[in-house]
Amino acid sequence: MKKRLLIANRSEIAIRIIRSAHKMGMYAIVFQSDKEPDALYLKFADEIIDAHDADDEKPIFLNPNKIVAFALEHEVDLIHPGYGFLSENPDFVALCISKKLNFIGPSPELIRDMGLKTVAKKMAIEAGLPLVPGSEGPVADVLAAKEYAASIGYPVILKASAGGGGRGMRIVENSETIERNFKSAYDEALAAFGNGDIFIEKYLQNPKHLEFQILGDKHGNVIHLGERECSLQRKHQKIIEEAPSASVTETMRKEMGTMAVRFAQKIGYYSAGTIEFIMDEDGSYYFMEMNTRIQVEHPVTEMITGVDLVDWQIRIALDEVLTLKQEDIIIKGWAIECRVNAEDPQNRFTPQTGFIDKIQFPQDASIRIETGFLSGSMVTPYFDSMIAKIIVHGESRSKVINKTMEALNKFNIIGIKTTAPFCKAVLQHPYFKDASYTTRWVDLVYSPEMLEDPDDEMIGALAATIMYASEYLQLQGDIPAYENDALNVWVLNKRLNY
Amino acid sequence: MGTSYKYKRDASRLFIALRDNGKRYKIYIPRESNPVIDGNEQEIDFIEQEDFQYTFEWNGKRFHCELVARDQNKATVHVNGVEYKFSLESIFSYIRKGMISDAEDKNTSVQIKAPMPGKIIDIFLDEGDLVNVGEPILTLEAMKMQNEITADCNGVIQKIRVNHEQSVMKDELLVEIQSIDV
Repeated sequence: MKKRLLIANRSEIAIRIIRSAHKMGMYAIVFQSDKEPDALYLKFADEIIDAHDADDEKPIFLNPNKIVAFALEHEVDLIHPGYGFLSENPDFVALCISKKLNFIGPSPELIRDMGLKTVAKKMAIEAGLPLVPGSEGPVADVLAAKEYAASIGYPVILKASAGGGGRGMRIVENSETIERNFKSAYDEALAAFGNGDIFIEKYLQNPKHLEFQILGDKHGNVIHLGERECSLQRKHQKIIEEAPSASVTETMRKEMGTMAVRFAQKIGYYSAGTIEFIMDEDGSYYFMEMNTRIQVEHPVTEMITGVDLVDWQIRIALDEVLTLKQEDIIIKGWAIECRVNAEDPQNRFTPQTGFIDKIQFPQDASIRIETGFLSGSMVTPYFDSMIAKIIVHGESRSKVINKTMEALNKFNIIGIKTTAPFCKAVLQHPYFKDASYTTRWVDLVYSPEMLEDPDDEMIGALAATIMYASEYLQLQGDIPAYENDALNVWVLNKRLNY
Repeated sequence: MGTSYKYKRDASRLFIALRDNGKRYKIYIPRESNPVIDGNEQEIDFIEQEDFQYTFEWNGKRFHCELVARDQNKATVHVNGVEYKFSLESIFSYIRKGMISDAEDKNTSVQIKAPMPGKIIDIFLDEGDLVNVGEPILTLEAMKMQNEITADCNGVIQKIRVNHEQSVMKDELLVEIQSIDV
């Protein structure tokens, strides 16, 4: 009998998981949420569970008890959480396990440990991973702070031990200002948290975000699949990812990859996971955290390694042995992913909602499109803003940048503003081309004028003029009074087959 | 003659699109052939038209345009997903508002005078017509020679000061043109 796999997620990742489920001969089951009852992913599933979540506080995807109850009722064997929602919620995973549902992902203990930064960092130290230099505990006083800062080098960041929300936090550029900053951070922390303890860390002003994909099974085998660079972010969310990273040399890849594998082995990790590093301008890198889910940007790794990560997640959950060896992982070419989000890049990335009148994707053997939307789909305010991922594979970095530009030029969406023009602006920027871009690109470099194009502007003027002219000329009685012929001969002569 | 002029006669088909950043386009929408933008005929193909949406092709590139807002003569257009705002004027209202030039001196009227004494034997244009640089406006006969008097700017014929068969003196005002060259 076919195994029954329930996907506790929506949109493109649901479709992505259905694809793997079908490839492995499984029966794919999804939830239909009242918040998005006509979503595209429903059309790909073998079975749809009506979630009846209209009156619930949260959509079905955030409701562990309801998911598990439905899973039992529908005799589900495996649950794939996708990313976001409950994918890194240890209580949900524990609940699944207690009901004999096979959760596709690591154990609740691993998820919990990796979710606690202090625990994850402690384990990283034990595995010999570099951490951002910092005082292990609070520093005693201004003098000690000054001494410690000098030993790790400026700039440094002062953080309240009890802190959060930026309170009690100060970035200090040099030794002249540390006294003043230390005092104000201390006072602020004391006032806000009743605890003035301050610790010091090296501050990375302009870092890159790198992450290593790993796969581990339940039998102690772990491999890494190289790195992704996800430095291009806005509001700490990734918009463009690439694999490999031009900032990682073969030696570093080996070194960092070995560290990632060692870390995963040390904690007994299984399933797909990601080990995040932050890299300073001088090339030194530090462990940040581990993600215990499949990530949005996993396709760039799949494109350059040819390994299907979701297939492996499922197989590992079924206790299969990871037959891939480290030496089997060969990086071929380069891949870039652009996230098309329903956000207005001309207006501080404000989320956009509404109907997508039309959406047209580029098609090519080297282009992979992951989307949960089509023409006529509705972008609701209930979920994240991602509409599609455009992933392009090429021989080299420069070639794939050009190909991605072409792909984005062929992409068309009408009805909603997206980050697609933003992605084009990034790809054309010298700092992206020379791979020197950092997580601060949007803060330091970006301005909405970069989205504008003289050709687009001129054609826009033409379009606006035609619309205006058609009314104007009608009023003059110069043309027949129906709009489509407003442009009469020019339009008719110029109309081509699409 | 075989001269082909960019602008056709009909000034009511000439518009000014002024962007919110101050960029200005003069756009002539002809009955036939291609639009003329800032004096240059552009081979722009019309690919698709739906309500408030146009797709063009130009220089091998696609341009998906969507009119997203309209208030009187102001229009907001998305071109390939990027927003541009324009205010639109017919050339007549544009001239009326004295917006033709950024210069302090808004007088952009060009006077065409008789280069020699003679007689007007032909007038080719009417008031309100659009005229191109180098385009003949009228024929002046002097000493048995026919001289074509041409426009020295692109613009709209504002006033024709002479009649057919009228005799004129040297430097007599013949025609006033409202220049549209910025």
